[in-house]
Parts: sequence; structure tokens; C-alpha cells
Amino acid sequence: MNDAVLKADNLQTYIGHHHILQGISFEARADAVTVLIGRNGAGKSTTLKTLMGLLPPSEGVIVYNGMNIQGKRPYEIARMGIGYVPEDMGIFADLTVEENFKVAKLKEDEATAGRLDRILELFGALGKFWHAPAGNLSGGQKQMLAIGRAMVNNISLLLIDEPSKGLAPIIVEALIEAINQIKEECVVVLVEQNFYMASAVGDYFHILDDGRIVHSGRMEALVDDEELKSRYLGISKSKS
Amino acid sequence: MLRREQRKKRYYSIGFVLPCLVLALFVLIPFLGPSYKTLDLALKIIIFASLVASFDIMLGYTGILSFGHGMFFGIGAYCVAFLNGKYGDPTYFHLFLGLLLAVAVACVLALIVSLISLRVKAIFFAMITLALAELTIVLANKLSHFTGGEDGISISLPGIFSAAFSPGSFLGLDISGRVITYYFILLACLGLFALMLRFTHSPLGRVLQAIRDNTDRAEALGYKTFYFQTLSIVLGCTVAAMTGGLYAMWVGYVNPESTLEVMAIMLNVLLMVIIGGMGTLYGGIVGAAFLLITQTFLPDLQKLAIDLFPNASLLHTILERWLLLFGILFILVVIFFPKGVVGSAREFIARARGEAFFSS
Amino acid sequence: MTETILKRWDNELVIAGIAVLLLLPLFGMPPKTYLTLTIAGLAMGMLLFLVASGVSIILGLMDVLNFAHGALFAWGAYVGFSTFKLLEKWVQADSVLLNFGAFAAAIICAMTVVAVLGMVLERVIVRRVYGNHLFQILITFGATIVLVEMIRVIWGPNDDVMSVPLTFQGNWDVFDVIIDRYRIICILIGALVFGAVQLILKKTKLGLIVRAGVENRDMVQAMGHNIFLLFTGVFAVGAGLAALGGLAMSIFSLQVYPDMGSTYLLFAFIVVIIGGLGSVTGSLVGALIVGLSYNYVAYLVPWAAAGVNIIIMIIILLIRPKGLFTAGK
Repeated sequence: MNDAVLKADNLQTYIGHHHILQGISFEARADAVTVLIGRNGAGKSTTLKTLMGLLPPSEGVIVYNGMNIQGKRPYEIARMGIGYVPEDMGIFADLTVEENFKVAKLKEDEATAGRLDRILELFGALGKFWHAPAGNLSGGQKQMLAIGRAMVNNISLLLIDEPSKGLAPIIVEALIEAINQIKEECVVVLVEQNFYMASAVGDYFHILDDGRIVHSGRMEALVDDEELKSRYLGISKSKS
Repeated sequence: MLRREQRKKRYYSIGFVLPCLVLALFVLIPFLGPSYKTLDLALKIIIFASLVASFDIMLGYTGILSFGHGMFFGIGAYCVAFLNGKYGDPTYFHLFLGLLLAVAVACVLALIVSLISLRVKAIFFAMITLALAELTIVLANKLSHFTGGEDGISISLPGIFSAAFSPGSFLGLDISGRVITYYFILLACLGLFALMLRFTHSPLGRVLQAIRDNTDRAEALGYKTFYFQTLSIVLGCTVAAMTGGLYAMWVGYVNPESTLEVMAIMLNVLLMVIIGGMGTLYGGIVGAAFLLITQTFLPDLQKLAIDLFPNASLLHTILERWLLLFGILFILVVIFFPKGVVGSAREFIARARGEAFFSS
Repeated sequence: MTETILKRWDNELVIAGIAVLLLLPLFGMPPKTYLTLTIAGLAMGMLLFLVASGVSIILGLMDVLNFAHGALFAWGAYVGFSTFKLLEKWVQADSVLLNFGAFAAAIICAMTVVAVLGMVLERVIVRRVYGNHLFQILITFGATIVLVEMIRVIWGPNDDVMSVPLTFQGNWDVFDVIIDRYRIICILIGALVFGAVQLILKKTKLGLIVRAGVENRDMVQAMGHNIFLLFTGVFAVGAGLAALGGLAMSIFSLQVYPDMGSTYLLFAFIVVIIGGLGSVTGSLVGALIVGLSYNYVAYLVPWAAAGVNIIIMIIILLIRPKGLFTAGK
């Protein structure tokens, strides 16, 4: 069970003069959801962007399925089977839902069509607004589109950046369910600030603080560790 | 104690000594080179160095590219020309008023341009200033009864600045109105340069650089970037208008052809600032000196090339199109030495000493 | 409720408003003059559209403000000029077929040469400074100097008279309205290009990817599309359209000169600002506004013609800072 699909080692990333990632190392294991948690500005999104090749790390190694993908361009990384859902969802608002999927599809074969069917089954709302401009969708629908779009290709790793951001609790519930289904098909690395969602889907966690990973372990352990939670996540023991 | 040490060190540093030497050279030039050509060249270097520095305030320190800098230069020149050429006998008051008018017009216009264009995106500034500059040229030609049309306006200067003024000689130098005008302009440009240096090294200047490097971040820190950018634009444009006014004093003549050939002036300024080095201020001196000296001696160079290689017609064509060479140089500098001569030299010295001795 | 209607019919409202405004000059002139001016304005607008659409798409997709577009425009005119010289017999022949043959040859040559030039420009120069606005403008400005000087070296520094295919000259007289033949050709070319570009952008996958890229470049990359290849392609197409514009404009104005690009680049910028960055429809509408208003004002108040476009631009910037049509961001 110790086969890591993705292994990041000592990632150092600068944005301008700012040293954002100061040595991030972690693994995403097969058949599991790995959650990166931490405060705003801790470097969670930067980590995903660095993995995706959108930000070049100045140092470090990223091994995916046994290959070093560090230094490859984002489109090469995407073609190796990594899906990415950015924090702002990256919806093409002017394009219809259908066109969003068209842009996302790398192949037009039966397997892709089959995956698309399953995605539409999972996110029923997308079918309803198939010909509507994606910009008109609600926040939750946009998130579903973003995730569905990323999964239309044959991917083995899905990177999702804060899917619950700005969504109503009931939609977060639906997302949790969806991600729990998705993890049957591919490995998921999730960035999440919403601890409820993180604990509901995550198997492993890594806490980031100031561009470093300060704690790692199984999610069950974190759920019970009030001291850790309050120190790094700002979650105090609920009194009620 | 430590401060004094530091200050002492600063006086011995290249960054301090070199500008002083350059200044000394400009002060001595009337004594060294009796020919008018040399004096004219030196003065144009002084004026363009100031003009380029004022452009650098916007480009290098604020990250705003304007294509209207030539326009402001031209406006300044015309303001001085109006008051000293068109209406009666010029007095010192007219001269002063002309320069003041240049400042006022430039201030107002720069404010309006920033208000319109900075609301959206900084690149709009480049497009809109380009449009305005073209509009000004058209206007200047259309309103010919006002601007003197193609004939232009001749300027006569008051009192000690007038060409006829000649009180005698000093240390072998014939003191004439020309020489006095030269020193007056040198002094004025020195003042402008000092003002700009003070501005960029002030806390305000540092905020501007922060905005240039990362607008979003500066905004997040609570700086109203818009105000700072506008301030820098107004300063840059005002200084440009001043240098334009001084230039008009020197050449004694403005017309749309020469003074409002704003695109040619713009082109020169851009070449100078890129070659000299953006965000250095001193780069303007290097760039202006390099470009103006090359342009002045280009005819000689061409003659030399024809004498040496009488048959290489391609070489002659290319030398005739010297701008082609400058264009290529421009691209190469932008790609390989984006900091220009001064910036690269500073970097080299800093690396050689193993310390960042120039921190700006 | 009204707000959503306003939003949904936003673009349609804009077009209706413009149409009403452009009918206003009818009060100041006889209808026949108005028609003649309208055709002249449409022709000019269509030519401006050819230049501006390239600037707009490149700016929208790549975030590059391409100053060299004007120089590419001039190159197109000069390549066409040389092609006409080579095919002089066809150009002078009193045959619609041969004239169009020469015209087509000139278009193909101009677009091919300049598209290749654009590709080289993107690959060798612009690519080095992606992500830095200032350096992009500076470097394309440097490229402009070099390209214009190269024209002076190759074709000489002076103006030249552009020949016009024989059957393109002259007018039609339709119910006393005088219609310049070549203007109709210009309008047709513009409409054809607009239709083709729209078709590609709306119906092909490549077009969808370009539109998606205008909205969010990073996302398109993260979906596995080689954005750099796309950049080169779009740059080449934009350059080709500029060349077509340059060629058509030089026939229109009967002359070629090395600096001709700068004037039209300025018009293109105004069009892009009016129309909105990255929007092809916006470029068309903006170009037609500029072309039409220029012609109307030149007739009504001749001295104001040069400034009217800048005034329109400033007004639009004040009330709608992002231009009439916004694409994505």
C-alpha cells in the first residue's frame, strides 16, 4: 500500500522576490485522498500550481508515476494524466458548458464519451444547462463543471484547490459525496480550509505553515488533536 | 560614528565620484571646446539627459510607459516660445512666465491623461498617450495662426541671455549670451536632476517601486496606487515640459517640424533610456551622450566607410539607415541587458565587491 | 429584473444605441451624401477592422500589446506593391478576371510573407518577454523600428504610387448615389474575414481553445493544450490580417510609404479600446464607429475630423472603461 502516485521533494518556489514554498515534501498515496490544510498564505495553492508546472520551482523534485515531471510545461504535465481544478475554478464564462467540455477533452474516443456520461450522471445539473454560458451557472454548478471538466480525460491524479470556498453548506455536502465517488477512480490531492470538508473526504493530511509542512499524518489523528487544530488552523474547541 | 563612516565611504564610491566628474566636464566644456558644435552637442546631452531621466521616473520607477513624453517636451518648448517670441519685447518676466506656463500646462494635461487612462490598465496609458501625441501634432499644424504653422516661432531672449550680450572674457573664454544661457540651462537641469534624485530616494519613490514590482501587493498593503502613479506621471511630464522650454531657449526657434516631431523625440528618448538603463536616472546621461554623439559623428563615419570600402554598397545602405542598427541594438539590450549600461555596470561592480553597494 | 434584462441584452443594446447615433448625421446632410459617406465609412471601417482584430486577439489571448502590428501592416502593403509590379500586365488589363487574379496573388503573397514574419517575431523576440508588459511593448516597439527601416533598405525611403487594378477603378451610379467600386470590394473583404474568423472561433475546437485562452490562459495550459504553439499561430494569423489590411489600404489610398503603419496602428488602438480587448465583434463595431464617424465629421466639420475618434475613445473610456464588448476578463 505504500506506492506513492505523486512524490514531491523539497519544493522551493519564489513568486517575485517572495520565497513562498520553503521546502515542501509530501506524498500522495494511491487509493487515498490527501488533504493539504493551513491558513491563508501558507502556500497551499502555490504547492498545487508548482505541481502543475504553472509556477516553476527553483529547487526540488516532483515524481509522478515514477517519472520526474519537474521542469515540464503545464500542458505536458496535464497530458500525463493530471487534472487540475484551480482556486478560482478557471471556468470559461463566455463558453457554454458543452464548449467547456470540448476544450477540456484531449481525445474524442469512446472512453472519453463514457467518462462524460458518468460525469453528467454524477453532476446532473450540468446536463440541464448544457447549452447555457458557463458564466451563468451558480457557484456550486461552476465547481461541478470545473471538477467534471478535469475528469473528462483519462486521469490518474486530480488536484483540487479549495472546492468548498464560498459554497452553501448543502452544496458542500453534495461535493463531499462527489469527491468520495471520484476517489474510487483516481488519486485526489485536495487543498481545503474548510476542516469539516477536509475531514469528511481526507485519508491523509499535511498541515502547511509559512511554506513548510509542519505536520502530517492520518486524518483520524488530526480530528482528535484539538491542540494541533487550534495552533495551525485557528479552530478552537467548540464550547457549545 | 558609524553613520559618518558610511557617509565618508559614500563620498569615495563610484556612484558619487562619477557623476561629479561628469558634472565637472560639463562645466568646463565651454573652456575646452571653443567650437559651437561641441557646445551645442554638450547642451543637447544635458537637456536630453534630464528629459530621459524624467521619462525614467515614469518608466523605470513606476512601470508606466508613455508615448506622450515628446508631446510634453514640445508643449514646454511652445510655451516658452509663445511668451518670448510672439508678444513684444521679451523680459526676464516673460521667460519666467513661459517656464511657469510650461509647468502649469504639463501638470494639468498629465493629470487629465492619468485620470482617463489609469482607471483600466496601465497599458492603456501607452495607447492613449500615443493617440494624444498624434492629436497634438495635428492640432499644432491646424492651428497654424497660433503656433506659427510650418514657419514656427523665433525666440529672442532677454538681457544677459540674448546673443548680442557680450561683457568681455574670463580665463580666455569669451563670455557671451550663449555661454550664459549654457550655464543657466546646465544649472536648471542640475536642479531638475537633483529634484528627481530626491524624489526617487524618498519614501514616496520607494512606494512607487513597490507598486511597479507588484501592483496587487502594494494595493493589498493599503497604498492607493492610483494616486502614487498619478503623482509620478505629473512629475515626469512637468520636468519634460521644463526641459522642452529650456531647449527652446537654446535653439531659439520652434516649429512643428523640429520641436513637435514628437515621435522622433520619443524614439530618441526610448533608445536613450533603454541603452542607459531603466530605473537608474543616471542612465539618461549615458544614453543621451551615446546616442547624440553617435548621431553627430555619423556623417563622418559614413564618409569614412565610403572611403575605406568604396564597393560595399550594402554597408553604405545600412549605414545610411543608422536607425536600423539602433533598432537592433535596442532589441538586443532589452533581451540581454534589460538594466542597460548603468544598471549592468552597477550589478557588475556590486558582484565584484561582493556586496550590494548601490541599494536603490 | 430590469438589471438582468439590461445585462442579458447588453450587447444588443450597445449596437442599437450606436445605430441610432450613426443615423444622427442625416439631419445635417442630404440623404444621398449620407449614403455615399456611409459606404466610404464602412469601407474604411472594414479596413481598420482587419488591422484591429489582430491587435485585439493578440492582446486578449497573449496579453501582448503588439506595437509592431503597424510595421507588419506596412510590410503587407509593400509586398502587395511588389506583387503588383511583377504582375503589371494583369493589373493594367481591362479584365475583371485578370485584375482579381493579380489582387488574389498580391493578397496571398502579402499574407504569407507577413505571417511568416509574424511567426519569426513571436518566436525570436516576443517569446522572451512573456509576462512582462513593459518589456513586451518596448521590444515590439524595437521590432517596429527594425521592420520599418528594413522597408526603407529594401524598397527605398520614399513614397511610391500604388497601382490599382483597372476594373477596380471608377464608380457605380446607383439612383444618383455615387458608389466607389473599390470601397464595395473592401466592405466585402472585411465582411468575409469577419465571418470566417467568427466561424472559426465559434465552431472549431481550435477557435474554442483560443476563446478559452482569452479568458484564462493558465487553465487552457493545465488542460493539456500547448499554449505556445497557439500563441505562434495566433500571432501569425494576426500578422496576416494586418498584411491584408495594409494591402487593401494602400490600394485605397493609392500610395505606400515606409511609415504608413504608425497612423493605422493608432487607429487600431483606438478601435481596440472602443471595442474591448480580445473581442472580435468589438473590433468590428469599434472599427465601423471610427470609420463612419470619421467620414461624417470630415464632411460636416472638416477641422474636427482628426480629433473625433480620440474624443469618442475618451468618452467610451469614461462611461465604459472596458470597452463596448468585453471578452472574458
